Amino acid sequence: MIDKTIDKSLRWVDDRLGVAKGGRTFLDKIFPDHWSFMLGEIALYSFVVLLVTGVFLSLYYIPSAHEVVYHGSYIPLRGQKVSEAYASTVGLSFDVRSGLLMRQAHHWAADIFLGSIAVHMARVFFTGAFRKPREFNWIVGVTMLILGIVNGFLGYSLPDDLVSGTGIRIAYSIIESIPLVGSYIAFFLFGGNYPGNGLIIPRFFIIHVLIVPLVLIGLLAAHLGLLVKQKHTQFPGKGKTEHNVVGSPMFPTFMAKTTGFLFMVTAVLFLLGGFAQINPIWQFGQYEPYQISYAVQPDWYMGWLDGALRIMPSWEWVGWGHTIPLEVFLPAVIFPGIIFNILIVWPFIESRYTKDLAYHNILDRPRDRPKRTGAGAAMLTLLGMTFFASSTDVLANFFQLPLKDVLWFFRIAVVVSPIIAYVVAYKICLEMRAAEGIGKRKRAVVIARSESGEYSTIETAPRPGDGSAELDAIPVPTFIDLVPPELATDEGVRRVMR
Amino acid sequence: MTDGPRLEGPLPPAALDDPHLTPYAKHPERAQAVAAIAMVVGFLAFIAFGVAYWVDASTQWEAATLGVGLLFLGFGVTAWGKYLMPQGPFVEERHAFHSTEAEREAMTAAITERGGMVVKRRKLLGGLFLLGSTAMGLVLMFPLIRSLGPKPGETLFVTNWKKGSKLVTIDGREVSADDLEVGGVLTVFPKGFTGSSPDQVILLRLSQTLQPLTPPGRTDWGVLGYVAYSKMCTHLGCPVGLYQEQTQQLVCPCHQSIFDVAAGAIPQFGPAPRPLPQLPITVDATGILVAQGGFNQPVGPGFWERS
Amino acid sequence: MRSLLKARYAAPAALVGGMGIVGLLAFSPGMAPADASPTTTSPPLTATTATTTPIGHRATPSVSSVLANRTPSNQTGIYNVELPAALIAPGQALFAANCSSCHGPEALGTVRAPNLQGLGAGTVDFWVSTGRMPLANSSVQATRKPPRFNRLQTLEIAAWVQSLTPGLGVPVPLVNTNGADLESGGTLFTLNCAACHTITGAGDALMDGAYAPSLHLATPTQVVEAIRSGPGNMPHFGPGNITDTETRDISAYVTGVLQHPANPGGVGLGGIGPVGEGFVGLLVGVGALMLVCFWIGDRT
Repeated sequence: MIDKTIDKSLRWVDDRLGVAKGGRTFLDKIFPDHWSFMLGEIALYSFVVLLVTGVFLSLYYIPSAHEVVYHGSYIPLRGQKVSEAYASTVGLSFDVRSGLLMRQAHHWAADIFLGSIAVHMARVFFTGAFRKPREFNWIVGVTMLILGIVNGFLGYSLPDDLVSGTGIRIAYSIIESIPLVGSYIAFFLFGGNYPGNGLIIPRFFIIHVLIVPLVLIGLLAAHLGLLVKQKHTQFPGKGKTEHNVVGSPMFPTFMAKTTGFLFMVTAVLFLLGGFAQINPIWQFGQYEPYQISYAVQPDWYMGWLDGALRIMPSWEWVGWGHTIPLEVFLPAVIFPGIIFNILIVWPFIESRYTKDLAYHNILDRPRDRPKRTGAGAAMLTLLGMTFFASSTDVLANFFQLPLKDVLWFFRIAVVVSPIIAYVVAYKICLEMRAAEGIGKRKRAVVIARSESGEYSTIETAPRPGDGSAELDAIPVPTFIDLVPPELATDEGVRRVMR
Repeated sequence: MTDGPRLEGPLPPAALDDPHLTPYAKHPERAQAVAAIAMVVGFLAFIAFGVAYWVDASTQWEAATLGVGLLFLGFGVTAWGKYLMPQGPFVEERHAFHSTEAEREAMTAAITERGGMVVKRRKLLGGLFLLGSTAMGLVLMFPLIRSLGPKPGETLFVTNWKKGSKLVTIDGREVSADDLEVGGVLTVFPKGFTGSSPDQVILLRLSQTLQPLTPPGRTDWGVLGYVAYSKMCTHLGCPVGLYQEQTQQLVCPCHQSIFDVAAGAIPQFGPAPRPLPQLPITVDATGILVAQGGFNQPVGPGFWERS
Repeated sequence: MRSLLKARYAAPAALVGGMGIVGLLAFSPGMAPADASPTTTSPPLTATTATTTPIGHRATPSVSSVLANRTPSNQTGIYNVELPAALIAPGQALFAANCSSCHGPEALGTVRAPNLQGLGAGTVDFWVSTGRMPLANSSVQATRKPPRFNRLQTLEIAAWVQSLTPGLGVPVPLVNTNGADLESGGTLFTLNCAACHTITGAGDALMDGAYAPSLHLATPTQVVEAIRSGPGNMPHFGPGNITDTETRDISAYVTGVLQHPANPGGVGLGGIGPVGEGFVGLLVGVGALMLVCFWIGDRT
């Protein structure tokens, strides 16, 4: 009965849209099964959670700097003059049922969205998946990373609390520091001298919920579309060549696993959202530009910028009636600009350096590309060091060290540690490649002792799958077409000619 | 890494008893039982979430029920997919997706030849269209950018502090000369402008034995041990509210720039490039602290027009 | 299912789980459940400050009798106690035995310790009742530790030091946090205190090895004494800067709200902001999900 209904419905749609052929191809799509190919899915599903929880939040949050008196459930704030943005966010946390769960899940989802992008990007980088023909996809991905970071900053600044407001003040000064046009851009964006005319909150809001998500959804569609068209890369292994993809089919296997994974990602985000408190803005109070708290940092994905700002020496250029605050401009504008530009053009840097213009559908083991792996390790170390440098005061307090010493440590570490990381990663790659039997499972070795006391080894048989036959391509069925054995012919039934 | 030959012709389909269609699990019934139990737990947890919501349970109960429901249901479906569905591996051919040489040449020719046919003959029209579109693009930027806000003008160079401005607290209370003890600190504003960000000033009372450290020409900028500085850090504008009293240092909480308060708030460490601008203050006839004038330089972080 | 228990998952699972737990523990100093729900936050009463029992065998006035009948003024919530003269003599004995080796027999100070004359009983009470004095290590900032003396002894020492310069310095306050204005206390705290002690009262490092301590163990009396006496690097906030009522409000805010923060969202992660959150999000969140990827996907 259901079969007939599906058949009829499909024919109805296909008459109008012609989807049957493409649909069958899509359902037959093969996905390689390696675990590291699922990291991008963590990001994708975190994004889904962000959208859903974000819609919920947007129905309660009021994007206005207009002052009201707080009258909600949280007693210590009662009677205080706060902005509507702050009051509505505290209201979401205390006076809207399941509001706090949604707020916290949204914030955790943002942190994990960017964390999983970082891990996914590292996988793509270290395995060389960005090479031809996937340079477009790499650029789309880096752009999504940048937009995600921006949107995260805008999002946690919306509640107008003391901690995020400090970040907005810093952002204003960074914009101001741009030579020639800085003060103009800052005045235009904020509507005047800091804190502006109050329009910054609604502007942040509309960029955060409409403009950036629209662009992100478009880029995401491009990212996934390119993946479908160009097909996924795969690691070298049994049966895998540059001209095929080996794995499990889209329907039913991959769909089941990925749907289950969507549920599990959502589960982790909601469990964190209910059990690990994040951004308790009612404890911070309303933002006022003349108030400040100690031990304030931005969210983790902006930490590298804050760390760069802290360790920068106080060099300011003054001359001919003008000032360029290099201590702000260099770490907060030039440094991220260089990093993001290197990231975006990396596929072209590498192809020019290696003079490699071939298609690559088989991935590298990181150890097979020691220089790229070293460069990646150096970049991660640099960003990691600047990230840790954003909590110099907290580290000094935790480890009971003088603050100046901690700062000097980071000033030196940021320069030295990437070099060390490059060398160490490079050497490890060479060592791993040189090691005999690397990557293969250990084989038992029997030790025998002769009567004269001499030791000798007797090798045992290799484990199945470890022999040289590992890389030989074997013909495997190309798609699931369930044919009862008695009807199977050489030609088969219901085969689709491609 | 093998390149491998392209297979000739399509590959055969799988028959029902093909090993690639067998599930991954060695004991499929056990795997099914585990997945089933997980899904039942998930189902019950979702019911529990519904109940938790209706009784307005705490956030932790909401999260626990919803999370357990999603986790177990998800685990069940994933286990179904991983252990019970056809494990393969299956193979799909990659087809070169770049067009043939002939198609490429035809595409290039379509653009260059047809385009050349039209544009080369009508260079005037092409040029004018380009001119018009460029003008349109440029002027459309004007409302998008310029309407957003005012020009900086002189705004960054002046504050509301003038000669005779009374120092008031955030509540508007005028500050008299006996209000602070030695070692005391207070945030003040010019009267009538409380809460105004560029006008925020930090007032400190130092021991008068520190007088010799005052920069030359500023000995009368303080009175009775009181000194006043702009509270906006010259690094990035954070309020410099952290006063380390024993060492007479103002520390900016954002990035730990240190300013020596007794010596004109000169930066001693950290990223701040310039001293905090000092506000000259004195005591008026009624014992209230007043400013002797405005700041002698723009307050806050640096910007291009600042000389 | 069984594959989850295989040894190859043990190492990464243990690593992620262990670091996650370490992170949660490191960033959640008080993992006791939040006892005050936000709708019923009530400031604590001052009776909690006078709970130590007096020395049994001496016929000395008990703490409660010392402080009884001294009801805090309804106006300000602060009553500045004048310690009875009976405490002075035992106080001198205690001082001579425990403090005079550094502060000198007349509390005038030596090369090792400052002059205490003129500082007042409240200042002494703060340093001794927080356990900072007697000093354990003179090369670092004095740390709060379990007090050496009980409440009565502390007040005796304070009374003696006060008697050297009667009327000068900071008195011992009785603080009634009932009816305090928490909103005002919070605003004042944010403006005057958060820049050093952080907005959650967690404390943080200052320059040259100094630090602003955590406020999570302070009593209402100690808060007011600290505000008035400005211990160490802390500024001095006199009545012309922060009035008695305002100190009472700040004290109620610190002991009522900061020490019992409303954490309806779950584990508080230490109250130091995004550092802890990033740690947990990356290790627990991304880490746990990567473990799930390990399980679902191939590892060849």
